[in-house]
Amino acid sequence: MISNREIVVENLVKRYANDVVAVDDVSFEVQAGQVFGFLGPNGAGKSTTIKILTTLALPTSGRARVGGYDVISEAQQVRRIAGVALQEIGIDPLMKAMELLTLQGQLFGASRKQAEARAHELLELVRLTDALDRRVGTYSGGMRRRLDLALGLVHEPEILFLDEPTTGLDPASRRDVWEEVRRLNRRLGMTIFLTTQYLEEADELADVVAIIDDGKIVSEGAPAKLKAAVGNESINLAFETMQMADKAIRELDGIGANIQSDRETVRVYMKQAAQAVPTVVNRLQQAGLDPISLTLTQPTLDDVFLQVTGQRLEPRESSTAPVA
Amino acid sequence: MTTHENVQTFTPVSEKKARLALQIWLVTRRSLVTILRTPEALLPPIAISIFFLVIYQSTLGRAAGFIPQIGGSYLGFILPLSIVSSSLSGAGIAAQNMVRDIERGYFNKLLLTPVSRGALLLGPILAGAVILGLQASIVVGVGLLMGLQPVTGLPGLLVVIGLAILLGTGFSGFTVSAALGSGSAAATQGASFIFFPMTFLAPTFVPLELLDGWLKTAARINPITYVLEAMRAMMNTGWDAALLSQAVLACLILAAAMYALAVYALRVRTRRS
Repeated sequence: MISNREIVVENLVKRYANDVVAVDDVSFEVQAGQVFGFLGPNGAGKSTTIKILTTLALPTSGRARVGGYDVISEAQQVRRIAGVALQEIGIDPLMKAMELLTLQGQLFGASRKQAEARAHELLELVRLTDALDRRVGTYSGGMRRRLDLALGLVHEPEILFLDEPTTGLDPASRRDVWEEVRRLNRRLGMTIFLTTQYLEEADELADVVAIIDDGKIVSEGAPAKLKAAVGNESINLAFETMQMADKAIRELDGIGANIQSDRETVRVYMKQAAQAVPTVVNRLQQAGLDPISLTLTQPTLDDVFLQVTGQRLEPRESSTAPVA
Repeated sequence: MTTHENVQTFTPVSEKKARLALQIWLVTRRSLVTILRTPEALLPPIAISIFFLVIYQSTLGRAAGFIPQIGGSYLGFILPLSIVSSSLSGAGIAAQNMVRDIERGYFNKLLLTPVSRGALLLGPILAGAVILGLQASIVVGVGLLMGLQPVTGLPGLLVVIGLAILLGTGFSGFTVSAALGSGSAAATQGASFIFFPMTFLAPTFVPLELLDGWLKTAARINPITYVLEAMRAMMNTGWDAALLSQAVLACLILAAAMYALAVYALRVRTRRS
């Protein structure tokens, strides 16, 4: 099976019977070997997009090609080259890991022997070899997700779709998944399309991020580029006294785009903060000022999200904490 | 954009058929394995069928002399009803298997493979048919213990079990459609309640000739009628080619229609979800 490992989506629309538009005229391209992050809150249309791209649902209008194959008219070819791990884990708790993996392999056309060999390989990969003969119903959440991922890899896909692969995982398991994603991408050259509601995850993994909100792509680009576009980085200085901070403000006048102080701390905002650090340090030394700390802050994808959608992606703790 | 059609190798038709048969076998075996891992779901239908068999036989068995045209023992007349009702409740097994897969998300895993969509429908239906055969055999076995002496002997009993499987498989197509349409276990369960009245819109307790008016009309379009009559003939009066072929035909029409409905339901499901 040959594919060009690209994803091309043109004017994709999914309208449900109740007139809800889940995906609203979405277009994007994913290059071969890229990790593409689809970032957005719950209900933004991420899962629907994945279901359409993996042939589980039909679009209302628009076109999409996965690996060069049309998701509507060449669905069988798409299924052969695309691997999927959906957000809702799809495993039968009554079956054993070995049974599930072997069956999946056989349904992709492998012989029983080939399928069993591949199953052992994958169990090794997701570290479930010890549990291969246990019913999946007895697995922990992290184990289930790893098995689910293995099921999506049975046929050695060239393009992998991961729908919120770390939602509900503890930090350690989350890092495991990240490492696995990077490995599949780098070692096997797999193109990876990943949806997430975690800014950190998109930042960590994706070469290109598309921010989707309410069914529409509102911003797209490399994470660094998106963050740079949102505006200023800052150099943050902390001093022992407010007097020193005040003096620092006078000394540093004109260096950045804007200077703010809050008691003993001073923030100098500018485009490329790292490059200005030597100048700042020099001036402070000449004035005999010794800061306790000097840190750099870069805008986060959260700032990007705030700017393009007018709201924060991750609810602040203060707004979710119960009023006690 | 390059086209990849020419990359695919030509597959001879016979090989495709062999592959389809293998796929159906794989999916059916898997359904059977999971059904047998929840044996507690299989007992109630059988228990209820046997319960009613005993009740009918004990309460009505003596009065049977007053019902004309039974043409043999009352047990031979009423046992087919028990077999049919076990088939009907058994028809839910395939759908329960499928709705479990839908609720657990495993059905999506199967849909993501290039396996034939027909195989995905037939898997649980055929696994259900195996269970139906077992259930019908158990009910027949209980009948034999109660003193049943079928005039067509063992071959007749095998045909009776075959008819029960055929009828139940047709109804499985209906419950599977409900499973695909609703995706919910409760709704699927609800859909199979339609079988209950259907059992009684038939020559359930008296021969068809004794039914009157609208009930007779309803019974004539009910496939259960033809199955009951053919089974009763084999129990009490002997081989009847006309009745038997009517029953088989009724089951086949039902099965074909319900399979078409299931194919449609699957198509709607993949468009919508």
